[in-house]
Amino acid sequence: MADPTVPGTEPETVPGTDPDHLLEPPRPDVEVSEGVEAAAQAEDTSVHGVPEVPPMPRPVFIARVVIGAALAFAALYAPYYFQEDMNKVLAQALYLAVAAMGLNLLTGFNGQVSIGHGAFFGVGAFTTAILMVDHGWMFEPTILVSALLTGLFGLLVGFPALRVRGLYLALVTLGLAVAFPAVAKRFVHGSGGVALVRPPRSEFGSLIDGVDDDQWKYAVCLVAVVLLFWAARNLVQSRTGRAMVAVRDQEIAATTVGVNLAATKVWTFGLSAAYAGVAGSLSVMVEGFADATNPIIYFQRSIEFLVAMTIGGAATILGPLVGALLVVLLRRNTSDLIEGKEVLSPALFGAALIAIVYVLPDGVVGGVKRLLARLGRRETSQRAQVGAPNT
Amino acid sequence: MTRTRRFRLLSAVLILGLFASACSSRDDDDDTSTGGDGGGEGGGEESSIDTSNCVTDPTAEIEGDTIKLVSSYPQSGLTAAFAEIASGWQSYFDMVNQEGGVEIAGKSYQLEWETKDDEYNAAETVSNIQEMLGSEGDQAFATFSVVGTANNLAIRDDLNEECVPSLFAATGSPAWGNPDYPWLIGSTLSPYTLEGQVFADLLKDQAPDAKVAMLVQDDDFGKAYEDGFRQAIEGTDIEVVKVEKYATGASEVSAQITSLASSGANAFFDGATLLACPAALQSAAAANWQRDFTWVSSTCISKTLMGIAGADAADVYSISNIKDPQDPQWDDDEGMQLYRDTVGANFPDTDTENGIVAYGWTQAAVFVEALRNAEAPTRLAVMESVHNIDVGDDVGLLAPGAGVTTGPEDPYMGERLNLVQYGFEGPDARNHFNVVGDTYDFEGQTADLTPEDLVTG
Repeated sequence: MADPTVPGTEPETVPGTDPDHLLEPPRPDVEVSEGVEAAAQAEDTSVHGVPEVPPMPRPVFIARVVIGAALAFAALYAPYYFQEDMNKVLAQALYLAVAAMGLNLLTGFNGQVSIGHGAFFGVGAFTTAILMVDHGWMFEPTILVSALLTGLFGLLVGFPALRVRGLYLALVTLGLAVAFPAVAKRFVHGSGGVALVRPPRSEFGSLIDGVDDDQWKYAVCLVAVVLLFWAARNLVQSRTGRAMVAVRDQEIAATTVGVNLAATKVWTFGLSAAYAGVAGSLSVMVEGFADATNPIIYFQRSIEFLVAMTIGGAATILGPLVGALLVVLLRRNTSDLIEGKEVLSPALFGAALIAIVYVLPDGVVGGVKRLLARLGRRETSQRAQVGAPNT
Repeated sequence: MTRTRRFRLLSAVLILGLFASACSSRDDDDDTSTGGDGGGEGGGEESSIDTSNCVTDPTAEIEGDTIKLVSSYPQSGLTAAFAEIASGWQSYFDMVNQEGGVEIAGKSYQLEWETKDDEYNAAETVSNIQEMLGSEGDQAFATFSVVGTANNLAIRDDLNEECVPSLFAATGSPAWGNPDYPWLIGSTLSPYTLEGQVFADLLKDQAPDAKVAMLVQDDDFGKAYEDGFRQAIEGTDIEVVKVEKYATGASEVSAQITSLASSGANAFFDGATLLACPAALQSAAAANWQRDFTWVSSTCISKTLMGIAGADAADVYSISNIKDPQDPQWDDDEGMQLYRDTVGANFPDTDTENGIVAYGWTQAAVFVEALRNAEAPTRLAVMESVHNIDVGDDVGLLAPGAGVTTGPEDPYMGERLNLVQYGFEGPDARNHFNVVGDTYDFEGQTADLTPEDLVTG
């Protein structure tokens, strides 16, 4: 499985000159570390927000439990508080978060840039839609098939991706996203002769009495987000996760300590694609169709994933979720901000994104972490305590 | 280890909480999954429309005194040429409202409308209509003048299930005659297969061994042209030598035209719409394609699109059943003056000489007639009424002899039509289409002249 030619062909990478670094997401938490282990250690820290080794102070622990419970309650209560249209928006944010998390595993944690995840998303969406329309499947099982299929597709793309890196990898994956609608148009025979497949709306109905359809869709998306983010979190903290980060930061060093470069990269690609595929499946439920009528729609999706990951905070666990919520809510709120000047809404959206990235170059989650770290430092110095050392 | 355990506990709580909260209910209406038995079995007597599977009750009377219509059509970007249809119908509705509204069964109703831009993208149409109608289909009375074949096909399942009238779809697809979808009806835009029929007749008369090259959109809109024309020339010496397709909504077709021009065809069926239509004529001229006959889609005869092609559109044929506002012979026509004044007052920026505005105006006029004839202010009664239209050519801007008739078995409007030819007199002249020959009357024949799978497929 090891592919010695790839690292072998790579000259010594000088940070800053390697094309990889041009597209790498900012990682302010990670200090420029010489050794692989140090890098992995530092990354670990950034994942948890608090260091692993010293025991957590009791107030912090309680605060975390309280905040966590409040957020969980908010997430569960939201579909009852909001009306139908807002629930749809939230469900959109949730499936976007799943795709952004997929991209985060690949780009944020493993350093492989992809502008092609829209294609995986599309494969997932059409898998679900076609299974339902042509083969009479229920919605829920199609998610698994989508995940498997897009995962395989991701592995296939992952192999050639071993040979190209950085900007070139971005270009290759971009081609994927741009080519997808044309390919779909060729093989999909949707209603009206265009590449639009719509399962009957009743197929997405709520399976629980007393839960409205929109609440049900939100709940399904929420369950997917919880499960997949949990899985991602566990993965990133595992040996494999540390290997992924090591590959991102120092390929050569990673191989010297025994990380299987090719396997790590290819499997990450596959897993990441599977996340995007699940998001695609969920999108069929939320939007009601799989659509490739617009030739650049999956390119736009890819950018959306990238934006959600970046403004939320790359290489963090909550980042993609926060980013997805921000993207979807910003788009919704900028679209009717100026009455009669809807043309301006993309500009407003863009300006808001620029503002966010300018103020929080490491994403919202990264920014919050910096803020907490600063507060923590002040507190410790004020109390003159020997508290938890915060990076 | 404690971390993992805590997280497991949290997720267990999450999932439990999810199920627990599922048992309470939001303040709004009850669940929709069992809402299907509200259907109007009582309203089914003698109706041509089966209402037994309706999710909503189509025999419920309109509450209040407004009839709300929703529409989705391209309004921006390269597909905006069709947006002007709406200034026509909105002006007419405004006029009717000012005159006191539409009277149905003794009560007057004001017309109200909401529209959204879909950029001619079927997926956007789905979202737009869903958003405006609400998931139960109760936020508006009906849809009106939704543009595009694929767009209307994409929304018709939902509308049919909800029994929401989908009125005057601004497309000439023969699929609007599908008896499985009684809640959808087309407009006075003639069925596309009739265009093929008229063109075939013209060629049979003047060039019985013509070789035809076709440009069509790569979807069911284009399929209707291609299959319709092929059926129309069956048994003749006319031959289709080449068919090229372009992606739905695209506006660049020069590659296709180069290929068609080299096919040796002496007749060109330009079945494109929007900007692709004039672009095809321009490319054909640029490629110096020598041909004797050119046909353009009836969706393309507006001033906007023909104006783009200019001299390259000289002498092209098409069909129409509307008075061309650019034609000076209608300047003193009463209907035309009313149209000019009303649209001019409502939309000062709209060019009333644009035939597409006149088309929109006429749809509203025919619809208002149907509304007045409805027996009750219900969806079912209105739908039955639009299936029983019989209006003369004095309604809207229908051309002389082009009155509209529909029946329970024949939902097609626009079956009386004229062969028209574009007379180009100069870039600044009032270039318009001239009627050639007598009015065609295909009343009740569209289904017979159309390949069956175009209707039911």
